[in-house]
Amino acid sequence: MQPNSPKNTADYYKHLSLFWTDIMHLMSSKPQALTSTGPMRAFTANSKKVTTELIEINEDLIGFNQYLTEYYKQLADAWGVAQKKVNLKSPEVPQDAEQIEVFKKIWIDMFDNDFTELFDSKKFGENYGKLVSKELELTKHWNNITNVVLQSVNLPSKEEIDEVYKELHSLKKRIGKLELKLKKKETRKNA
Amino acid sequence: MHSESKVDPKIMEEILKFGKNVMDAPKLVSAPDEISLEVTPHDTVQKIDKTRLLHYRPLTEKQHRTPLLISYALINRYHILDIQPEKSWVRNLLLQGFDIYMLDWGSPTSMDKYLDFDDYVNGYLDSAVEHIKNESSTEKISLQGYCTGATIATAYTTLHPESVKNYIATAPVIDGWRDTTVISNLAKHMDVDKMVDTIGNMPPEFMYYCFSVLKPFEQGIEKYIKFFKNIDNKKFVDNFLRVEKWLGDTPPIPGELFKQWIKDIYQDNLLIQNKMYVGGDLIDLKKIDMPTFTQIAVGDHLVSPECSMPLHYAIGSEDKTLRMYPTGHVGMIASSLSQKKVLPELGKWLSERS
Repeated sequence: MQPNSPKNTADYYKHLSLFWTDIMHLMSSKPQALTSTGPMRAFTANSKKVTTELIEINEDLIGFNQYLTEYYKQLADAWGVAQKKVNLKSPEVPQDAEQIEVFKKIWIDMFDNDFTELFDSKKFGENYGKLVSKELELTKHWNNITNVVLQSVNLPSKEEIDEVYKELHSLKKRIGKLELKLKKKETRKNA
Repeated sequence: MHSESKVDPKIMEEILKFGKNVMDAPKLVSAPDEISLEVTPHDTVQKIDKTRLLHYRPLTEKQHRTPLLISYALINRYHILDIQPEKSWVRNLLLQGFDIYMLDWGSPTSMDKYLDFDDYVNGYLDSAVEHIKNESSTEKISLQGYCTGATIATAYTTLHPESVKNYIATAPVIDGWRDTTVISNLAKHMDVDKMVDTIGNMPPEFMYYCFSVLKPFEQGIEKYIKFFKNIDNKKFVDNFLRVEKWLGDTPPIPGELFKQWIKDIYQDNLLIQNKMYVGGDLIDLKKIDMPTFTQIAVGDHLVSPECSMPLHYAIGSEDKTLRMYPTGHVGMIASSLSQKKVLPELGKWLSERS
């Protein structure tokens, strides 16, 4: 496997690091068993996961930067257009306090209008959606890495805590509905 | 060769005064943290999970028979309806002789991420209505929903029409496809499944971002310049800080509720098409057959009039009123216009039916 493009380069290094992590893990798993109750054993066993996540973070970071650049480009373009409009409407440099006040009003109106038009546009909405989505991918990788650390000290992962929350919610919902039913019965009885 | 500088002395004077005002500000005004937003006296009469049902103490000797429950929005807190005595929605209605309750949704935490529309409509809101019916010995109450709270109240009214005598929808979020606001544009392009699966609840910071793109220059720059320019004006400063504190206090929205919200209202627009389900039951707007009063702000840049208005035409009620006011989303509920026009009209309509 030889790197000949950025995508291949990333894949190549991903493969390389996974290969050596796996080999090292297999070679060292027997002596490690001696420390099976300590945190390092669990951490080493899951270190492959950390490596994978770190490599994927880099890939997502490239995508995130791409959308972030587009985001600021859109803002800069809108700024440029709005400034041109202000210059056309108010070509003279304001000389006194009254003129400054008028200029400020024109400036704010123009900029608010143009930026609202941008924020309301499909191209902004789409890019913003993709930017947030990439940000969430980064968060997901970070969560996964944290889970490895949590598991190494025998603490529940995010998924396990979510399961507890879900169960708790379901129980509370059932109890709440039963209580409400009883209350309604009581109200009818009193009426 | 020499050039003569012609700077208007008035400009220098204003710059110096502005600088002085900025320096003096901490001596003259309270920090937002020191301001209490609790204005009109009330009692907490029911607590379920993080929600609280507030009952305001009466300000008149006699009161209308039917109590009014306000279902506030999911964004920010209920305080805006009672932000200060002269602009308080709650106080005004109390002075008109209404018995007022408010549902405070509280601040959900990570463990509330599975709370959904069903919990809010058939759980918290239904429990509050039941409590009020018991406490006031009435079979039906009047219900008012504001903004996203009106979407919840609308769903409730279709599912429990037997408990609602009068329904008031104030800037309700109903028809997501017709909404022309920036918020709806962002919502339409959001991967809400990924957001909720990854971070759980909708974080307040996300809402702050949405606020920041609404009139960014007027709200982000001009507003604060005005604040420092008017630092000596006690009334202005007090109102400014109260509203700012309210704006900066938005709780997270439970993940599942947020997911259904974005998908069913903004992305698939199911509510207005009578295709939305809550707790397994279909929300059919035709079932709203009681007297209904819809209030819309023409300059609303959070919930556009086109998004709210369809409710008036979709419901089954024959006794329905639509009122439009020349103000904005917050102006409709907390301004001198709301005190002089919006509330007297609502009070008159409601007193005839309470």
